[in-house]
Amino acid sequence: MQPSNSSPIRRALQPNWIYLALLAFLILFPHIVGWITGDSPFGIGGRARGQSVFWQSILIEVFILAILTMSYNLIFGFTGVISFGHAMFFGLGGYALGMTLQYTQLGPDAGLLVGLIAGIVIAGVIGFITALVTLRLRGVYFAIFTLALAEMVAIYIGRWPVTNAEDGFPIDVLPELFNPTRSRLFLYYVALVLTVITFLFIRRLINSPTGRVLIAIRDNEARAQAIGYNTLRFKVLSITLASTMAAGAGMMHVILARKVGPEILGVTYTIDPLLMTIIGGVGTIGGPIIGAAGLHLSERILNREFVFGSVVVNIGQQWSLILGITFIVVVMAFPKGVVGTFESWQARRRARVAARQALLLQKAESSGPSGNLHEQPDV
Amino acid sequence: MLQNRSTIGVVALLFAGLLAFGLVTADSVGSFAITVLSGLLQAALLFLVASGLSIVFGLMDVLNFAQGHFFMLGAYITFAFFHAQALAPIDPNLRFPIAILIASAVGGVVGYILERGLIRPLYVRPFFMLVLTFGVAIVMGEAIKAIWGTVTYTWSTVNSFSIHQNIFVLFNQQFGWYRIFVILIGLALMVLVALLLRRTRIGIIIRAGVEDSAMVEALGINVRAVFTLVFAFGCALASFGGAVAAPFLGASPGMASAFLLGAVAVVVLGGLGSYEGTAIGSVLVGLSIAIVAKFTSRPEINQTVWPSLTPMILLILVLLLKPSGLFGKEH
Repeated sequence: MQPSNSSPIRRALQPNWIYLALLAFLILFPHIVGWITGDSPFGIGGRARGQSVFWQSILIEVFILAILTMSYNLIFGFTGVISFGHAMFFGLGGYALGMTLQYTQLGPDAGLLVGLIAGIVIAGVIGFITALVTLRLRGVYFAIFTLALAEMVAIYIGRWPVTNAEDGFPIDVLPELFNPTRSRLFLYYVALVLTVITFLFIRRLINSPTGRVLIAIRDNEARAQAIGYNTLRFKVLSITLASTMAAGAGMMHVILARKVGPEILGVTYTIDPLLMTIIGGVGTIGGPIIGAAGLHLSERILNREFVFGSVVVNIGQQWSLILGITFIVVVMAFPKGVVGTFESWQARRRARVAARQALLLQKAESSGPSGNLHEQPDV
Repeated sequence: MLQNRSTIGVVALLFAGLLAFGLVTADSVGSFAITVLSGLLQAALLFLVASGLSIVFGLMDVLNFAQGHFFMLGAYITFAFFHAQALAPIDPNLRFPIAILIASAVGGVVGYILERGLIRPLYVRPFFMLVLTFGVAIVMGEAIKAIWGTVTYTWSTVNSFSIHQNIFVLFNQQFGWYRIFVILIGLALMVLVALLLRRTRIGIIIRAGVEDSAMVEALGINVRAVFTLVFAFGCALASFGGAVAAPFLGASPGMASAFLLGAVAVVVLGGLGSYEGTAIGSVLVGLSIAIVAKFTSRPEINQTVWPSLTPMILLILVLLLKPSGLFGKEH
């Protein structure tokens, strides 16, 4: 359907225009908010204050959740493996970075670098070992295994005296550039770039031969094996990659919050990406981003008191309940999520248009002088 | 037959090892006896949560991740009804059984609605069924938080029912009569459910359905209807467990996930879908928790984290070493 005479640049841009427009908007976003509200996007008086900075931090949270959800979708949506322990990787990344910064004498710059590497390596190794277990445990069994493992790590670290048990510890050794109270705008762009890289990487992976095998495993693992693929190797690749991405999201979270505590290992960070994946669209490229942005922004916007006559309702306080009910409704009624439902609606519409055209063509043919339908050449 | 005999050998070996470890590390025979009793108490509660989980999985391959929340629901309802002002004039000894009955009935009804409304339409999409019960667990947990708040409720000792306050002394160690009562209830239910499965028509249908549900369906029996009944019964049993545990565990938002993982450990250890496996598994897991708790509370170790980690460690070990469990079929 593409016009063949268009330039290669236009052909590259056309299918991506919605993403590019969104990216342009996100790049300009802090400045737009700053321009509307009059608060500088760089903060006021050298400190991170004002509306623009406030919205930057909300969007950084969205980016973190989007990376976490995209990584979960890689396992859940594209490989068909259900894991209930994704929070473990998020939290371990955060703990690895926080402990390297606070518990070693490396200083802020070297500490950040070593901490990032440590977090990714630890999450990658544990993800790799967990993934090997899929050789024997399928479906429910793997879900139980990951749930038990994640819960065990969360309980143990939640009572570990070294990291102050359930209180956690603050992070004050940070390079100036990564200090969220000083340079929020820089962190905003770092998070944006990481989100874009994750997005492009996953899209490239899914459209590569490797990604095709992952989808084949999701659809029917026995068949993928019968064709001759070593499915374990592909599952290990997918889970290990997703674990390191989740650890990256956890490290971003810890830098933004400037605090490490056992809540980042809690089941919330398993439930959130699960809900966001399903509501956005399981096994779609854009779904996780829409899910993460939609859910997190609505949570932040609805978290205030609404007055209906004499009744005061704070929707934010019952947010998890609303989220759970939304989740059940989506699973029951729209299992493809926002993006999947939209895509299938579009496909249906396209099919209907094509059918109507075919019908018109048929009518034109049959009303013609020599209307033999069965021997018409294809048009 | 040989496989069966070797399984019994393994079970006997596990029990012997566990008890020997407990006896060797105990300070006195009395404290060992108390450890065994508290292990049996854990076992009784775990069994009440796990039995529904196990039969439901065996019948329809549905693992209900909300089962722990039914336990929690039972605890909260019993607590609320027992301490309700309107019911205060009734004698506490009568009020408590009423509260338990209400809790079990609510659990059964919620389970019935859950199965008919949400689980039944999803048989065609098993991938989503697994995450659905996870979502139901969130909704139940949040609804309970919205109604009762996030504070931990502890049972008031004033104006309590009489058996709750009676204590006996064994080898200079105190133990509540009520806990003995709960252990007995657990054992009685183990036998009762076994009789139900072996001696009644519906029990035979359930066991046949666990073996091969398509074949039972082909014989003209509505397995789905039986399944709904079993699902609701399992939920009622879990709520009943929470209800009888409320006088000593109280009611708190954290009890759901602890008992879910404990029950899942029991079911996997026993073998998914095997009833005798669940019964034996709950005793094994309960005793392990109590013995680990006793051992790690010794002054030279003194780490309170290990008893809560025990179910997960057992679960992970079983999944790694023998995913089909002690009595399970190899899939």
